Amino acid sequence: MTSIAPFHGYGLGLRRTHYADFLEGEVPVDFVEVISENYMVEGGKPLRILEEVRAKHPVILHGVSMSVGSASGLDDEYLARLKTLAQRIDPLWVSDHLCWTRTSAHNSHDLLPLPLTHEALDTVCDNIDHAQETLGRTMLFENPSSYLTFPEDEMSEWDFMAAMARRTGCYMLLDVNNVHVSAQNHGFDAQEYIAGLPLERVRQIHLAGHTPATPERDIVIDTHDREVCEAVWELYEWTVARTGPVATMIERDDGIPPLGELLDELDRARSIADRSLEARAA
Amino acid sequence: MSALAARQTAFMESLLDDERALPDGWTQRHAAGLDIYRNNYRSALVEALRATFERTERLVGEDTFARAAAHHLIMHPPSSWTLDLAGAGFAETCQYLFPSDPEVAELAWLEWSMHLAFVACDARPLTSEGFLESAGDFDEEDWAELRLAFKPGLKLRDTAHDLKRLWSSLDIAGKLPEIVRLTEPSSNIVWREGERPVFITVSQAEGRALTAMMDGASYGEVCEALVAQQGAEGIALAGTMLRRWLCEGMVEAIA
Repeated sequence: MTSIAPFHGYGLGLRRTHYADFLEGEVPVDFVEVISENYMVEGGKPLRILEEVRAKHPVILHGVSMSVGSASGLDDEYLARLKTLAQRIDPLWVSDHLCWTRTSAHNSHDLLPLPLTHEALDTVCDNIDHAQETLGRTMLFENPSSYLTFPEDEMSEWDFMAAMARRTGCYMLLDVNNVHVSAQNHGFDAQEYIAGLPLERVRQIHLAGHTPATPERDIVIDTHDREVCEAVWELYEWTVARTGPVATMIERDDGIPPLGELLDELDRARSIADRSLEARAA
Repeated sequence: MSALAARQTAFMESLLDDERALPDGWTQRHAAGLDIYRNNYRSALVEALRATFERTERLVGEDTFARAAAHHLIMHPPSSWTLDLAGAGFAETCQYLFPSDPEVAELAWLEWSMHLAFVACDARPLTSEGFLESAGDFDEEDWAELRLAFKPGLKLRDTAHDLKRLWSSLDIAGKLPEIVRLTEPSSNIVWREGERPVFITVSQAEGRALTAMMDGASYGEVCEALVAQQGAEGIALAGTMLRRWLCEGMVEAIA
Protein backbone atom coordinates (compact mmCIF):
# COMPACT_ATOMS: atom_id res chain seq x y z
CA MET A 1 0.00 0.00 0.00
CA THR A 2 1.10 3.54 -0.69
CA SER A 3 2.14 5.79 2.17
CA ILE A 4 0.46 9.11 2.91
CA ALA A 5 2.83 12.01 3.36
CA PRO A 6 2.10 14.35 6.28
CA PHE A 7 0.20 17.47 5.29
CA HIS A 8 0.39 20.33 7.72
CA GLY A 9 -2.53 22.67 7.31
CA TYR A 10 -5.81 23.87 8.76
CA GLY A 11 -9.17 23.16 7.23
CA LEU A 12 -12.94 23.08 7.59
CA GLY A 13 -15.71 20.70 6.70
CA LEU A 14 -17.67 21.90 3.66
CA ARG A 15 -21.31 22.37 4.63
CA ARG A 16 -24.21 23.44 2.39
CA THR A 17 -24.75 26.73 4.22
CA HIS A 18 -21.19 27.77 3.30
CA TYR A 19 -21.26 26.79 -0.39
CA ALA A 20 -21.52 30.42 -1.51
CA ASP A 21 -18.60 31.47 0.73
CA PHE A 22 -16.37 28.83 -0.83
CA LEU A 23 -17.53 29.35 -4.42
CA GLU A 24 -17.64 33.13 -4.51
CA GLY A 25 -14.88 34.15 -2.13
CA GLU A 26 -11.42 33.22 -0.98
CA VAL A 27 -11.71 31.22 2.24
CA PRO A 28 -8.41 31.10 4.15
CA VAL A 29 -8.13 27.34 4.64
CA ASP A 30 -5.46 24.86 3.56
CA PHE A 31 -7.94 22.08 2.81
CA VAL A 32 -11.62 21.26 2.80
CA GLU A 33 -13.14 18.03 4.08
CA VAL A 34 -16.42 16.75 2.63
CA ILE A 35 -18.72 13.92 3.63
CA SER A 36 -18.05 11.43 0.84
CA GLU A 37 -21.60 10.03 0.70
CA ASN A 38 -23.07 13.47 -0.10
CA TYR A 39 -21.19 13.38 -3.40
CA MET A 40 -21.39 9.68 -4.27
CA VAL A 41 -24.22 10.51 -6.65
CA GLU A 42 -24.72 10.16 -10.39
CA GLY A 43 -24.60 13.85 -11.23
CA GLY A 44 -26.19 17.23 -10.63
CA LYS A 45 -25.37 20.25 -8.51
CA PRO A 46 -23.50 18.58 -5.59
CA LEU A 47 -20.77 17.20 -7.86
CA ARG A 48 -20.45 20.45 -9.80
CA ILE A 49 -19.98 22.36 -6.54
CA LEU A 50 -17.44 19.88 -5.23
CA GLU A 51 -15.42 20.15 -8.44
CA GLU A 52 -15.42 23.94 -8.19
CA VAL A 53 -14.29 23.81 -4.57
CA ARG A 54 -11.65 21.23 -5.54
CA ALA A 55 -10.30 23.67 -8.12
CA LYS A 56 -9.55 26.07 -5.25
CA HIS A 57 -8.59 23.77 -2.35
CA PRO A 58 -7.23 20.30 -1.64
CA VAL A 59 -10.14 18.07 -0.62
CA ILE A 60 -10.39 15.20 1.87
CA LEU A 61 -13.13 12.60 1.39
CA HIS A 62 -14.49 11.66 4.81
CA GLY A 63 -17.01 8.82 4.83
CA VAL A 64 -19.60 7.71 7.37
CA SER A 65 -20.97 4.54 5.76
CA MET A 66 -18.11 2.19 4.94
CA SER A 67 -18.85 0.14 8.07
CA VAL A 68 -15.45 -1.53 8.44
CA GLY A 69 -16.67 -3.19 11.62
CA SER A 70 -19.50 -5.09 9.93
CA ALA A 71 -19.34 -8.83 10.38
CA SER A 72 -21.22 -9.10 7.06
CA GLY A 73 -18.35 -7.46 5.17
CA LEU A 74 -18.27 -4.37 2.99
CA ASP A 75 -20.79 -3.25 0.40
CA ASP A 76 -19.03 -3.52 -2.96
CA GLU A 77 -21.43 -1.12 -4.66
CA TYR A 78 -20.51 1.44 -2.01
CA LEU A 79 -16.80 0.87 -2.58
CA ALA A 80 -17.20 1.19 -6.35
CA ARG A 81 -18.95 4.53 -5.97
CA LEU A 82 -16.36 5.80 -3.51
CA LYS A 83 -13.59 4.76 -5.90
CA THR A 84 -15.27 6.65 -8.76
CA LEU A 85 -15.56 9.76 -6.59
CA ALA A 86 -11.94 9.51 -5.43
CA GLN A 87 -10.75 9.17 -9.03
CA ARG A 88 -12.79 12.21 -10.00
CA ILE A 89 -11.71 14.44 -7.08
CA ASP A 90 -8.14 13.25 -6.43
CA PRO A 91 -8.39 13.88 -2.67
CA LEU A 92 -5.55 14.38 -0.22
CA TRP A 93 -6.82 11.15 1.34
CA VAL A 94 -9.96 9.11 2.00
CA SER A 95 -11.09 8.46 5.57
CA ASP A 96 -13.87 6.73 7.49
CA HIS A 97 -14.56 5.59 11.06
CA LEU A 98 -13.73 2.63 13.25
CA CYS A 99 -17.33 1.53 13.71
CA TRP A 100 -20.08 -0.45 12.10
CA THR A 101 -23.26 1.01 10.64
CA ARG A 102 -25.12 -1.95 9.17
CA THR A 103 -25.95 -5.62 9.23
CA SER A 104 -26.74 -7.54 6.06
CA ALA A 105 -30.39 -6.55 6.52
CA HIS A 106 -30.46 -2.98 7.82
CA ASN A 107 -28.49 0.25 7.93
CA SER A 108 -28.56 2.40 11.06
CA HIS A 109 -26.90 5.44 9.46
CA ASP A 110 -25.15 5.91 12.78
CA LEU A 111 -21.59 5.13 13.89
CA LEU A 112 -22.22 2.15 16.16
CA PRO A 113 -19.69 0.86 18.71
CA LEU A 114 -17.69 -2.30 18.21
CA PRO A 115 -16.95 -4.88 20.86
CA LEU A 116 -13.20 -4.59 21.35
CA THR A 117 -12.45 -8.27 20.81
CA HIS A 118 -9.83 -10.14 18.80
CA GLU A 119 -12.59 -11.39 16.54
CA ALA A 120 -13.77 -7.84 15.83
CA LEU A 121 -10.17 -6.77 15.20
CA ASP A 122 -9.78 -9.56 12.61
CA THR A 123 -13.02 -8.46 10.92
CA VAL A 124 -11.99 -4.80 10.88
CA CYS A 125 -8.54 -5.62 9.47
CA ASP A 126 -10.01 -7.89 6.75
CA ASN A 127 -12.48 -5.18 5.77
CA ILE A 128 -9.84 -2.43 5.75
CA ASP A 129 -7.56 -4.62 3.61
CA HIS A 130 -10.45 -5.15 1.18
CA ALA A 131 -11.31 -1.43 1.08
CA GLN A 132 -7.72 -0.28 0.59
CA GLU A 133 -7.16 -2.88 -2.12
CA THR A 134 -10.36 -1.94 -3.96
CA LEU A 135 -9.69 1.79 -3.72
CA GLY A 136 -6.02 1.34 -4.53
CA ARG A 137 -5.05 3.71 -1.73
CA THR A 138 -4.22 3.69 1.96
CA MET A 139 -6.94 5.18 4.12
CA LEU A 140 -7.31 7.00 7.43
CA PHE A 141 -9.66 5.73 10.13
CA GLU A 142 -11.12 7.86 12.87
CA ASN A 143 -11.60 6.89 16.51
CA PRO A 144 -15.33 7.02 17.31
CA SER A 145 -17.05 8.48 20.33
CA SER A 146 -19.22 5.94 22.11
CA TYR A 147 -21.96 5.66 24.70
CA LEU A 148 -21.48 2.07 25.81
CA THR A 149 -18.82 -0.63 26.03
CA PHE A 150 -19.40 -4.36 25.78
CA PRO A 151 -19.01 -6.97 28.52
CA GLU A 152 -16.94 -9.08 26.12
CA ASP A 153 -14.30 -6.38 25.47
CA GLU A 154 -10.79 -7.86 25.50
CA MET A 155 -8.63 -4.74 24.98
CA SER A 156 -8.68 -0.98 25.18
CA GLU A 157 -9.77 1.07 22.18
CA TRP A 158 -6.30 2.54 21.78
CA ASP A 159 -4.76 -0.94 21.67
CA PHE A 160 -7.39 -1.92 19.12
CA MET A 161 -6.60 1.13 16.96
CA ALA A 162 -2.85 0.54 17.24
CA ALA A 163 -3.19 -3.11 16.19
CA MET A 164 -5.50 -2.10 13.34
CA ALA A 165 -2.95 0.40 12.02
CA ARG A 166 -0.06 -2.02 12.41
CA ARG A 167 -1.83 -4.89 10.62
CA THR A 168 -3.43 -2.95 7.75
CA GLY A 169 -0.96 -0.11 7.24
CA CYS A 170 -3.81 2.40 7.52
CA TYR A 171 -3.29 5.83 9.04
CA MET A 172 -5.29 7.53 11.76
CA LEU A 173 -7.64 10.44 11.93
CA LEU A 174 -7.56 11.39 15.58
CA ASP A 175 -10.73 13.11 16.75
CA VAL A 176 -9.61 14.74 19.97
CA ASN A 177 -13.18 15.58 20.94
CA ASN A 178 -14.20 11.94 20.49
CA VAL A 179 -11.41 10.84 22.82
CA HIS A 180 -12.61 13.39 25.39
CA VAL A 181 -16.27 12.30 25.03
CA SER A 182 -15.49 8.58 25.34
CA ALA A 183 -13.08 9.22 28.23
CA GLN A 184 -15.86 11.02 30.10
CA ASN A 185 -18.38 8.29 29.31
CA HIS A 186 -16.20 5.28 30.07
CA GLY A 187 -13.88 6.67 32.74
CA PHE A 188 -10.52 6.23 31.03
CA ASP A 189 -7.73 8.78 30.84
CA ALA A 190 -7.77 10.74 27.57
CA GLN A 191 -4.01 11.28 27.59
CA GLU A 192 -3.39 7.58 28.20
CA TYR A 193 -5.59 6.84 25.15
CA ILE A 194 -3.67 9.19 22.87
CA ALA A 195 -0.27 8.16 24.20
CA GLY A 196 -1.22 4.55 23.43
CA LEU A 197 -1.70 5.25 19.73
CA PRO A 198 1.11 5.04 17.16
CA LEU A 199 1.18 8.82 16.81
CA GLU A 200 3.50 8.72 13.82
CA ARG A 201 0.53 7.35 11.88
CA VAL A 202 -1.81 10.24 12.73
CA ARG A 203 -2.33 12.29 9.58
CA GLN A 204 -5.29 14.41 10.62
CA ILE A 205 -6.94 15.77 13.75
CA HIS A 206 -10.62 16.65 14.15
CA LEU A 207 -11.75 19.22 16.70
CA ALA A 208 -15.42 19.57 17.58
CA GLY A 209 -17.94 20.37 20.27
CA HIS A 210 -20.23 18.10 22.28
CA THR A 211 -23.21 18.21 24.61
CA PRO A 212 -22.11 17.84 28.26
CA ALA A 213 -23.70 15.39 30.65
CA THR A 214 -26.57 16.61 32.81
CA PRO A 215 -27.81 15.52 36.24
CA GLU A 216 -30.56 13.59 34.43
CA ARG A 217 -28.31 12.06 31.78
CA ASP A 218 -24.86 11.03 32.91
CA ILE A 219 -23.54 10.64 29.36
CA VAL A 220 -21.67 13.16 27.20
CA ILE A 221 -23.09 13.25 23.67
CA ASP A 222 -20.93 13.81 20.62
CA THR A 223 -23.19 16.30 18.86
CA HIS A 224 -20.60 18.31 16.87
CA ASP A 225 -23.07 21.18 17.15
CA ARG A 226 -21.16 23.81 19.15
CA GLU A 227 -17.75 25.32 19.69
CA VAL A 228 -14.78 23.30 20.91
CA CYS A 229 -14.65 23.27 24.73
CA GLU A 230 -11.62 24.26 26.81
CA ALA A 231 -10.83 20.69 27.87
CA VAL A 232 -10.60 19.64 24.21
CA TRP A 233 -8.37 22.62 23.34
CA GLU A 234 -6.05 21.60 26.18
CA LEU A 235 -6.00 18.01 24.99
CA TYR A 236 -5.27 19.23 21.44
CA GLU A 237 -2.26 21.24 22.66
CA TRP A 238 -1.00 18.22 24.58
CA THR A 239 -1.51 16.01 21.51
CA VAL A 240 0.19 18.27 18.95
CA ALA A 241 3.23 18.47 21.23
CA ARG A 242 3.52 14.70 20.67
CA THR A 243 2.41 14.28 17.03
CA GLY A 244 4.25 17.25 15.60
CA PRO A 245 2.66 19.19 12.72
CA VAL A 246 -0.55 17.54 11.55
CA ALA A 247 -3.54 18.58 9.41
CA THR A 248 -6.20 19.94 11.76
CA MET A 249 -9.80 20.85 11.15
CA ILE A 250 -12.88 22.10 12.94
CA GLU A 251 -15.73 19.66 12.31
CA ARG A 252 -19.20 21.13 12.79
CA ASP A 253 -22.11 18.92 11.72
CA ASP A 254 -25.09 20.67 13.26
CA GLY A 255 -25.95 24.17 14.46
CA ILE A 256 -23.71 25.44 11.66
CA PRO A 257 -22.69 29.06 12.44
CA PRO A 258 -21.55 31.73 9.95
CA LEU A 259 -18.23 30.80 8.36
CA GLY A 260 -16.39 33.55 10.26
CA GLU A 261 -17.03 31.83 13.59
CA LEU A 262 -15.49 28.59 12.35
CA LEU A 263 -12.52 30.47 10.91
CA ASP A 264 -12.00 32.09 14.32
CA GLU A 265 -11.92 28.62 15.91
CA LEU A 266 -9.49 27.50 13.23
CA ASP A 267 -7.26 30.48 14.05
CA ARG A 268 -7.25 29.36 17.65
CA ALA A 269 -6.18 25.87 16.55
CA ARG A 270 -3.34 27.46 14.55
CA SER A 271 -2.16 29.51 17.53
CA ILE A 272 -2.30 26.56 19.90
CA ALA A 273 -0.47 24.30 17.47
CA ASP A 274 2.17 26.97 16.78
CA ARG A 275 2.76 27.40 20.51
CA SER A 276 2.89 23.69 21.09
CA LEU A 277 5.23 23.08 18.15
CA GLU A 278 7.54 25.89 19.25
CA ALA A 279 7.76 24.35 22.71
CA ARG A 280 8.43 20.96 21.11
CA ALA A 281 11.24 22.42 19.00
CA ALA A 282 12.86 24.24 21.95
CA MET B 1 -23.10 -17.06 13.01
CA SER B 2 -19.96 -15.53 14.54
CA ALA B 3 -20.12 -13.87 17.97
CA LEU B 4 -19.61 -10.49 16.31
CA ALA B 5 -22.40 -11.08 13.79
CA ALA B 6 -24.72 -12.23 16.59
CA ARG B 7 -23.85 -9.14 18.65
CA GLN B 8 -24.48 -6.82 15.71
CA THR B 9 -27.76 -8.48 14.77
CA ALA B 10 -29.00 -8.23 18.38
CA PHE B 11 -27.80 -4.62 18.67
CA MET B 12 -29.54 -3.65 15.43
CA GLU B 13 -32.76 -5.32 16.59
CA SER B 14 -32.55 -3.40 19.87
CA LEU B 15 -31.97 -0.20 17.93
CA LEU B 16 -35.07 -0.72 15.79
CA ASP B 17 -37.34 -1.92 18.58
CA ASP B 18 -37.80 0.10 21.79
CA GLU B 19 -39.59 -2.78 23.48
CA ARG B 20 -36.85 -5.31 22.99
CA ALA B 21 -35.33 -6.70 26.21
CA LEU B 22 -31.70 -5.84 26.91
CA PRO B 23 -29.15 -8.52 25.98
CA ASP B 24 -27.91 -10.75 28.82
CA GLY B 25 -25.32 -9.10 31.04
CA TRP B 26 -26.33 -5.55 30.13
CA THR B 27 -26.85 -3.00 32.88
CA GLN B 28 -28.85 0.20 33.18
CA ARG B 29 -25.72 2.01 32.03
CA HIS B 30 -25.86 0.02 28.77
CA ALA B 31 -29.56 0.84 28.49
CA ALA B 32 -28.80 4.57 28.80
CA GLY B 33 -26.17 4.29 26.06
CA LEU B 34 -28.49 2.30 23.83
CA ASP B 35 -31.16 5.00 24.26
CA ILE B 36 -28.77 7.55 22.77
CA TYR B 37 -28.11 5.34 19.75
CA ARG B 38 -31.86 4.77 19.35
CA ASN B 39 -32.50 8.48 19.48
CA ASN B 40 -29.69 9.21 16.99
CA TYR B 41 -31.06 6.59 14.60
CA ARG B 42 -34.58 7.95 14.69
CA SER B 43 -33.74 11.62 14.61
CA ALA B 44 -31.29 11.27 11.71
CA LEU B 45 -33.82 9.40 9.62
CA VAL B 46 -36.79 11.60 10.48
CA GLU B 47 -34.64 14.66 9.67
CA ALA B 48 -33.70 13.09 6.33
CA LEU B 49 -37.39 12.56 5.52
CA ARG B 50 -38.21 16.11 6.64
CA ALA B 51 -35.55 17.52 4.33
CA THR B 52 -36.83 15.49 1.37
CA PHE B 53 -40.56 15.92 1.98
CA GLU B 54 -40.63 19.54 3.09
CA ARG B 55 -43.93 20.37 1.40
CA THR B 56 -45.60 17.13 2.43
CA GLU B 57 -44.76 18.06 6.03
CA ARG B 58 -46.32 21.50 5.54
CA LEU B 59 -49.42 19.89 4.05
CA VAL B 60 -50.08 17.44 6.90
CA GLY B 61 -48.49 19.40 9.76
CA GLU B 62 -45.34 18.68 11.80
CA ASP B 63 -46.80 16.24 14.33
CA THR B 64 -48.70 14.19 11.78
CA PHE B 65 -45.63 14.10 9.56
CA ALA B 66 -43.43 12.95 12.46
CA ARG B 67 -45.85 10.08 13.13
CA ALA B 68 -45.97 9.15 9.43
CA ALA B 69 -42.15 9.24 9.24
CA ALA B 70 -41.86 7.05 12.35
CA HIS B 71 -44.37 4.59 10.88
CA HIS B 72 -42.42 4.48 7.61
CA LEU B 73 -39.13 3.77 9.41
CA ILE B 74 -40.68 1.00 11.48
CA MET B 75 -42.27 -0.63 8.44
CA HIS B 76 -39.33 0.00 6.11
CA PRO B 77 -36.08 0.27 8.08
CA PRO B 78 -33.36 1.54 5.75
CA SER B 79 -31.04 -0.93 4.09
CA SER B 80 -29.14 1.29 1.64
CA TRP B 81 -25.76 2.82 2.47
CA THR B 82 -27.11 6.24 1.59
CA LEU B 83 -29.43 8.23 3.81
CA ASP B 84 -30.68 9.85 0.61
CA LEU B 85 -32.75 6.74 -0.09
CA ALA B 86 -34.46 6.65 3.32
CA GLY B 87 -37.53 8.18 1.67
CA ALA B 88 -37.95 5.35 -0.84
CA GLY B 89 -41.54 4.13 -0.61
CA PHE B 90 -42.68 7.06 1.56
CA ALA B 91 -45.31 8.03 -1.04
CA GLU B 92 -46.76 4.52 -0.71
CA THR B 93 -46.67 4.88 3.08
CA CYS B 94 -48.63 8.13 2.71
CA GLN B 95 -51.12 6.38 0.43
CA TYR B 96 -51.68 3.82 3.20
CA LEU B 97 -51.81 6.34 6.07
CA PHE B 98 -53.94 9.00 4.36
CA PRO B 99 -56.45 7.01 2.25
CA SER B 100 -59.00 9.84 2.31
CA ASP B 101 -56.47 12.47 1.28
CA PRO B 102 -54.87 11.13 -1.92
CA GLU B 103 -53.17 14.50 -2.56
CA VAL B 104 -50.73 13.68 0.28
CA ALA B 105 -49.33 10.63 -1.53
CA GLU B 106 -49.33 12.51 -4.84
CA LEU B 107 -47.30 15.35 -3.34
CA ALA B 108 -44.93 12.92 -1.59
CA TRP B 109 -44.36 11.15 -4.92
CA LEU B 110 -43.62 14.51 -6.56
CA GLU B 111 -41.10 15.50 -3.87
CA TRP B 112 -39.43 12.09 -4.02
CA SER B 113 -39.15 12.26 -7.83
CA MET B 114 -37.67 15.78 -7.63
CA HIS B 115 -35.22 14.52 -4.99
CA LEU B 116 -34.05 11.71 -7.31
CA ALA B 117 -33.90 13.97 -10.37
CA PHE B 118 -31.66 16.42 -8.46
CA VAL B 119 -28.75 13.95 -8.45
CA ALA B 120 -29.57 11.96 -11.59
CA CYS B 121 -26.86 11.47 -14.23
CA ASP B 122 -25.85 14.59 -16.11
CA ALA B 123 -27.06 14.59 -19.72
CA ARG B 124 -27.46 17.30 -22.31
CA PRO B 125 -30.95 17.48 -23.76
CA LEU B 126 -31.49 16.94 -27.46
CA THR B 127 -32.66 20.31 -28.73
CA SER B 128 -35.40 20.77 -31.32
CA GLU B 129 -32.73 21.99 -33.73
CA GLY B 130 -30.55 18.95 -33.07
CA PHE B 131 -33.54 16.69 -33.55
CA LEU B 132 -34.51 18.33 -36.83
CA GLU B 133 -30.96 17.98 -38.07
CA SER B 134 -31.14 14.23 -37.53
CA ALA B 135 -34.76 13.81 -38.58
CA GLY B 136 -34.68 16.23 -41.51
CA ASP B 137 -34.39 13.46 -44.09
CA PHE B 138 -36.56 10.87 -42.29
CA ASP B 139 -38.91 8.97 -44.55
CA GLU B 140 -42.20 7.54 -43.34
CA GLU B 141 -40.58 4.32 -42.16
CA ASP B 142 -37.90 6.20 -40.19
CA TRP B 143 -40.63 8.17 -38.39
CA ALA B 144 -42.54 5.01 -37.61
CA GLU B 145 -39.41 3.39 -36.18
CA LEU B 146 -38.26 6.48 -34.23
CA ARG B 147 -37.35 5.66 -30.62
CA LEU B 148 -36.16 8.13 -28.01
CA ALA B 149 -33.90 8.03 -24.96
CA PHE B 150 -35.15 10.35 -22.22
CA LYS B 151 -33.18 12.33 -19.67
CA PRO B 152 -31.98 10.28 -16.66
CA GLY B 153 -34.21 10.78 -13.66
CA LEU B 154 -37.35 11.50 -15.70
CA LYS B 155 -40.39 10.09 -13.90
CA LEU B 156 -44.13 10.37 -14.37
CA ARG B 157 -47.31 9.44 -12.57
CA ASP B 158 -51.05 9.92 -12.96
CA THR B 159 -52.52 12.29 -10.40
CA ALA B 160 -56.01 13.48 -9.55
CA HIS B 161 -55.01 16.85 -8.05
CA ASP B 162 -53.54 20.06 -9.38
CA LEU B 163 -50.00 19.56 -8.11
CA LYS B 164 -48.77 22.82 -9.60
CA ARG B 165 -51.14 24.84 -7.41
CA LEU B 166 -50.55 22.64 -4.40
CA TRP B 167 -46.76 22.91 -4.84
CA SER B 168 -46.83 26.72 -5.11
CA SER B 169 -49.17 27.10 -2.17
CA LEU B 170 -46.71 25.20 0.03
CA ASP B 171 -43.69 27.29 -1.00
CA ILE B 172 -43.41 28.73 2.49
CA ALA B 173 -44.68 27.62 5.86
CA GLY B 174 -47.93 29.05 7.14
CA LYS B 175 -49.80 29.40 3.83
CA LEU B 176 -53.04 27.52 3.32
CA PRO B 177 -52.56 24.58 0.93
CA GLU B 178 -54.57 24.83 -2.30
CA ILE B 179 -56.02 21.37 -2.77
CA VAL B 180 -57.87 21.33 -6.08
CA ARG B 181 -59.20 18.14 -7.64
CA LEU B 182 -58.72 18.13 -11.41
CA THR B 183 -61.76 17.72 -13.63
CA GLU B 184 -59.84 15.07 -15.57
CA PRO B 185 -57.05 12.91 -14.19
CA SER B 186 -53.67 14.04 -15.51
CA SER B 187 -50.06 12.97 -15.58
CA ASN B 188 -47.17 14.78 -13.96
CA ILE B 189 -43.70 14.56 -15.48
CA VAL B 190 -40.59 15.27 -13.39
CA TRP B 191 -37.10 15.75 -14.83
CA ARG B 192 -34.07 17.98 -14.33
CA GLU B 193 -33.47 21.15 -16.30
CA GLY B 194 -29.80 22.03 -15.86
CA GLU B 195 -29.35 21.62 -12.12
CA ARG B 196 -32.98 22.29 -11.21
CA PRO B 197 -35.64 19.57 -10.91
CA VAL B 198 -38.87 20.69 -12.61
CA PHE B 199 -42.29 19.24 -13.38
CA ILE B 200 -45.25 19.82 -15.67
CA THR B 201 -48.79 18.52 -15.78
CA VAL B 202 -50.01 16.99 -19.03
CA SER B 203 -53.00 14.95 -20.18
CA GLN B 204 -53.22 11.32 -19.18
CA ALA B 205 -53.03 10.42 -22.88
CA GLU B 206 -49.68 12.16 -23.10
CA GLY B 207 -48.52 10.46 -19.94
CA ARG B 208 -49.37 7.08 -21.47
CA ALA B 209 -47.60 7.96 -24.72
CA LEU B 210 -44.48 9.03 -22.83
CA THR B 211 -44.54 5.90 -20.65
CA ALA B 212 -44.79 3.76 -23.78
CA MET B 213 -41.82 5.50 -25.41
CA MET B 214 -39.76 5.27 -22.21
CA ASP B 215 -40.51 1.54 -22.25
CA GLY B 216 -39.12 1.30 -25.78
CA ALA B 217 -42.20 1.77 -27.97
CA SER B 218 -41.63 3.43 -31.33
CA TYR B 219 -43.17 6.73 -32.39
CA GLY B 220 -45.21 4.77 -34.93
CA GLU B 221 -46.69 2.58 -32.20
CA VAL B 222 -47.54 5.65 -30.13
CA CYS B 223 -49.22 7.26 -33.16
CA GLU B 224 -51.26 4.11 -33.76
CA ALA B 225 -52.40 4.02 -30.14
CA LEU B 226 -53.39 7.69 -30.25
CA VAL B 227 -55.30 7.24 -33.51
CA ALA B 228 -57.14 4.31 -31.95
CA GLN B 229 -58.13 6.56 -29.02
CA GLN B 230 -58.65 9.92 -30.70
CA GLY B 231 -59.23 9.17 -34.37
CA ALA B 232 -57.39 11.06 -37.11
CA GLU B 233 -56.41 13.81 -34.67
CA GLY B 234 -54.13 11.31 -32.98
CA ILE B 235 -51.31 11.95 -35.47
CA ALA B 236 -51.31 15.71 -34.85
CA LEU B 237 -51.54 15.06 -31.13
CA ALA B 238 -48.45 12.84 -31.27
CA GLY B 239 -46.62 15.64 -33.08
CA THR B 240 -47.60 18.13 -30.39
CA MET B 241 -46.37 15.78 -27.66
CA LEU B 242 -43.05 15.14 -29.40
CA ARG B 243 -42.53 18.87 -29.86
CA ARG B 244 -43.22 19.48 -26.16
CA TRP B 245 -40.83 16.75 -25.00
CA LEU B 246 -38.10 18.26 -27.18
CA CYS B 247 -38.80 21.91 -26.28
CA GLU B 248 -38.93 21.11 -22.55
CA GLY B 249 -35.58 19.32 -22.72
CA MET B 250 -36.86 15.87 -21.68
CA VAL B 251 -35.24 13.99 -24.54
CA GLU B 252 -31.58 13.02 -24.43
CA ALA B 253 -31.12 11.35 -27.79
CA ILE B 254 -32.64 9.47 -30.66
CA ALA B 255 -32.21 5.88 -29.52
